[in-house]
Amino acid sequence: MDVISTRSLTKFYGKTRGVEDLSMRVPEGAVYGYLGPNGSGKTTTIRCLLGMLKPTSGEAMLFGQPVALDGSAVRARIGYVAGEVRLYDRETGGWHLDYVAGFRGGHGRLEKDLLERFEFDPSKRVRELSKGNKQKLALILGMAHDPDLLILDEPTSGLDPLNQEAVYSVIDERVAEGRTVFLSSHVLSEVERVCERVGIIRLGHLVAEESVKELLGKRLRQVQVTFAQPTAPSFLAGLPGVDNVLAVSETVFTARARGDAVDALLKHLATTRVADLSIQQASLEDVFLEFYRERDASPDAEAEREESR
Amino acid sequence: MSWTLLRATIHQRRTSLFWFSFGLVLYAWLMTWFWPQMGGDKYAELIESYPPELLQLFGGTEVPMASLGGYFQMEYLGLMWMLIVASALIIYAIKAFAGEIGAGTMEFTLAQPVSRVRLAVTRVIAMVGYVVVLAIASFVPIMIFGPRYDIELSAKTYLLLMSFGGLFMLAIGGIAMLLSSMFRDGGKPGSIAAGILVLFWIADLVANASEAAEFFEPVNLVSYWQPGKIINDGTVAAEAWWIYAAVALVTLVGSVVVFSRRDVA
Repeated sequence: MDVISTRSLTKFYGKTRGVEDLSMRVPEGAVYGYLGPNGSGKTTTIRCLLGMLKPTSGEAMLFGQPVALDGSAVRARIGYVAGEVRLYDRETGGWHLDYVAGFRGGHGRLEKDLLERFEFDPSKRVRELSKGNKQKLALILGMAHDPDLLILDEPTSGLDPLNQEAVYSVIDERVAEGRTVFLSSHVLSEVERVCERVGIIRLGHLVAEESVKELLGKRLRQVQVTFAQPTAPSFLAGLPGVDNVLAVSETVFTARARGDAVDALLKHLATTRVADLSIQQASLEDVFLEFYRERDASPDAEAEREESR
Repeated sequence: MSWTLLRATIHQRRTSLFWFSFGLVLYAWLMTWFWPQMGGDKYAELIESYPPELLQLFGGTEVPMASLGGYFQMEYLGLMWMLIVASALIIYAIKAFAGEIGAGTMEFTLAQPVSRVRLAVTRVIAMVGYVVVLAIASFVPIMIFGPRYDIELSAKTYLLLMSFGGLFMLAIGGIAMLLSSMFRDGGKPGSIAAGILVLFWIADLVANASEAAEFFEPVNLVSYWQPGKIINDGTVAAEAWWIYAAVALVTLVGSVVVFSRRDVA
């Protein structure tokens, strides 16, 4: 069964496009990453799924039922962590836990465990909490009731690496127990760590749905090589998947390597003497730009631009 | 209705409700205390020294100004009381819907298993409770302290003041709630609701000063609020009940319907 499905989902804010003609499916037990730059329509999609926004056209379904603006039963099965945490500033974390418990018929079975794992003190008022601690509270509130579907919008924003790892392990545990996770994120390493499949949204359209393995194939790395002796740039330039080769000096070169080209690059470098080597993961923006450049060059994108004129 | 939401709403509004109620109790007690010193002939002399236009500004209209009803209408229940309760209700109403949407907390609440209709109905019920507390704070001090200062009113008069005053407050609050359900932050609905009340007040003033402006009266909530007449005669015009009840019902039901169908993020 599909836990989430949308069919030609479209939402316009007046003349401004939120999402358009969005069709996607997230099966039960999946961990689905939803990737896209700011303003691409990720949060609009989530808000349509939660019944907070009324679609302009199309349909969103959760657990096989159409999402209703006034529906509440289906939300009992969902845990939601918003991208921008907005809670009642004057109330404490404990007040929020009681508030949610009131709607959900009691305190969640995971609440105590999550409070300990995130080392969160519920006695403080929200306005006294740091950004990271607000994020922790939002995560506890969203996950404490062990929902069948977790919808997480940038869930680790503001968290330190230890707490990020705690979030990932909670997600792993939920997934191992058959729960479904819909994760919206900018952070490629997070998506790589958690998700099996990703949807990429651009200008309100779902432009690709890929497995994480396929996405990694598109990933870029920035390489800096220091040779033990002066070397010609052509030594690197001809390699498949390696481009933007720049000579910093006679011995130092930088280049960009795509996905699986790293393996071939290392084997090629092994044929000469290397004094130093640095391989850095490219930023998500670089991957997006690369991905979008491909899309922009496609006939579909050209047609879209023509249409928008 | 959601008990969780009702408890939370009351909890979050408790401070403002306390201070508005405290202000009303203090004001009512002060006006009661002043009556023996200002009432009767002295008060009549004072009032006669004011230009008629000034008296009209403070709601002095249908009752003799030197009477107990005229005194309370001029000094407390006319303009000042309306300002206090309207401020309290507009502040409550704009936070009930638009303020929470603007602050983002509505998204948090609506991510829980509570329907929008239940949420909106609960907020309306909480406002009714708010009105009851304000009505008690407005009139019960007169009932308690009045006998010490030669103010003897019948139980029926107090009941009329509280029920008719409460209905007037519900009509004001209903307008503000309806506006709040239409917007996504508190600024605009608050300004519009306050603007409508100022317009009513000006229209009432113009209608008092000029017969040509009487056409405003049938739709003017402020014109029907004549607490001096209730205190002096123990009567309220039948159409006033109907107007207030209709405005309150239509606007409050309207706010629930509008909120249940709109985008809330």
